[in-house]
Amino acid sequence: MRRPTTSEVRRPATVLALLLVVVLVLPPLLSAYWIDVLTAVAIYSVVALSLNLLIGRVGLVSLGQIAVLALGAWVAAKLAFVSSIPFPLVLLIAGLITLVLGTLVGLPALRLSGLYLALITLMLAGAITVVLSTTNFPNGGPGFLSHTESSFGNPAVRRPDIASSDPAYFRFTVIVAALMFALALWHVRSRPGRAWAAIRQSEPAALAAGVNITLYKLWAWALASFMTGVAGGLLAGSVGKLYTYQFPTRDSIILLAVVLMGGIYSLWGAVVAGALMKLLPALLDDWGLPADLLIILFGVGVLQVLLTAPGGLAAQVPKDFARMGGGLSAVVRRRLAARAERAPTGTAPQEPAP
Amino acid sequence: MPDWQNFEPFIVSGLALGGVYSLSGVGMVVLYRTTGVLNLAFGAVGAMGAFIAWSLINTFGWPAVLAYLACVGFGAAVSLIYGMLAGPPLAGRDPLVKAAATIGLALILLGSMSWIWSDKARSMVLPTTNWRYSVGQVLINWTQIIALALGVLITLTTAVFLRLTGLGTAMRALANDREITAALGVPVRRVEATTWVVSGALSGVAGLLMSNLVGLDAATLTFLVISSLAAALIARLRSLVVTLAAGIVIGLVNALVTPIFSISPYRDMTPFVLAAVALLFLARHQQVSFARRIT
Repeated sequence: MRRPTTSEVRRPATVLALLLVVVLVLPPLLSAYWIDVLTAVAIYSVVALSLNLLIGRVGLVSLGQIAVLALGAWVAAKLAFVSSIPFPLVLLIAGLITLVLGTLVGLPALRLSGLYLALITLMLAGAITVVLSTTNFPNGGPGFLSHTESSFGNPAVRRPDIASSDPAYFRFTVIVAALMFALALWHVRSRPGRAWAAIRQSEPAALAAGVNITLYKLWAWALASFMTGVAGGLLAGSVGKLYTYQFPTRDSIILLAVVLMGGIYSLWGAVVAGALMKLLPALLDDWGLPADLLIILFGVGVLQVLLTAPGGLAAQVPKDFARMGGGLSAVVRRRLAARAERAPTGTAPQEPAP
Repeated sequence: MPDWQNFEPFIVSGLALGGVYSLSGVGMVVLYRTTGVLNLAFGAVGAMGAFIAWSLINTFGWPAVLAYLACVGFGAAVSLIYGMLAGPPLAGRDPLVKAAATIGLALILLGSMSWIWSDKARSMVLPTTNWRYSVGQVLINWTQIIALALGVLITLTTAVFLRLTGLGTAMRALANDREITAALGVPVRRVEATTWVVSGALSGVAGLLMSNLVGLDAATLTFLVISSLAAALIARLRSLVVTLAAGIVIGLVNALVTPIFSISPYRDMTPFVLAAVALLFLARHQQVSFARRIT
């Protein structure tokens, strides 16, 4: 057996420590408002993760991920109202049902590639949004839709018994999100990840190498739908009462923008994307700046990423820091050398004797 | 089923909307064929132009005609600037990347619009909307007639232009193969710039008409591009005449469903469903191969 390298030990340890800090240390320090915001960040990181995988690993672009999120939320809310199965199971089943729905849509759509696939997902998302704005979300009413028009005393979607308070639900969300990231990482590191990499490089070449491209593309699509469905369930439990306006088509576009800005070649990019999408607006609001600034910023960010920095923030920031660190140490070294020259006694190298 | 009489007014509004969808669709198809850029900011550019026209008329007291020209000019200018700045660095990239970059432009414009003009609701009424007359039971205004007529006229003019003029031939050559066209000595950048200007001007016209027919709202107008895009997609981003027909069919179906109450709430799905079905139908024989795919 070979010994694991330092980075193989250090990275999981860092992630684990970070997770512990977020789960244990953060909640008591923050007000209810910021806990809400961070819960949303965790949920949208999972949505961003699904798109991050599709774009960065397989090379498929979906412009309808927010509509899939809405589907997941609808299914989870429905399950929570009509059954009494435990909440984690609700999440799992919501994810699986979204997986089936997403795959049914994906099966024909995956014949298309590139631009056309992105556009058909945009069209389907538009259609789903129209349907949901008519059926609305379950709020404990009668019938298949479980929706009632009366806005008085409707129950909220229930949360797990162990996590009914906001801080506890935040912890629950972070742990589920971490599981989703682990699932993604496991896929990327194993056989599907290698198949996806081949497909992203060149579909015909992958086909020639014996990769079942239909299977693995569909697999990626199903995995993304599953994750987004689970995120939808988390969202249902988080906000309690769901409305169509929480899932506008513009969010699907903005999601693409933040995922590209966060960086598509690293799973960290998804966390950055979640923060850009949900934490940044709250911060701007806190500082009294208009939220429209953010949309402009996202627009500039997309152009910047596509024109100059394909790795996004997740790749760019460490690189910039390294460059800055390198620059700083060079400056320090030059200063020291200059000082050494000015003071020839002692430290300066002695001229060799003739 | 409701009476035929109930449908009549919706034929007119459907045709008008369809005309603008066609107009936008043609603007997008021509740009896509020539430069390879599917401009998802088409709606946002037109919307911002319409807002500027509104401000010029209502705040600065410009004559209406000048303001409308400013709207069209704004569309052309912004499109040209974007095309010249982002076009060359992205020229060799995948069409998908080029389209995603226009999302950046759309977001910048959308954010600016909601920032600058967020204070109150506005409405844009073209003077032609007040010139109306009735045919049978139905009241028709000139804006609706202009919308449909422009849609048809611009499609046909563009088709003839592409067929008969030197610039049109150059544009068609570019649509076929950029490298070979450049090698043959066609000034590629200049042809592309012209296309951006024309397409941008069309987005200004579409924005002006839409703001009157649908309402002056930044988000609505920006995302109406998806409906126009549906028309372009049904034509496989290729045929202008099919784009025209698809735009009008989308507008008509969307409007004609309105009086049928059982499916009326779902009428906004029309462009999406038609485009999705068309795309899936057209892709049914798609196969993986090393051959360069003709898009």
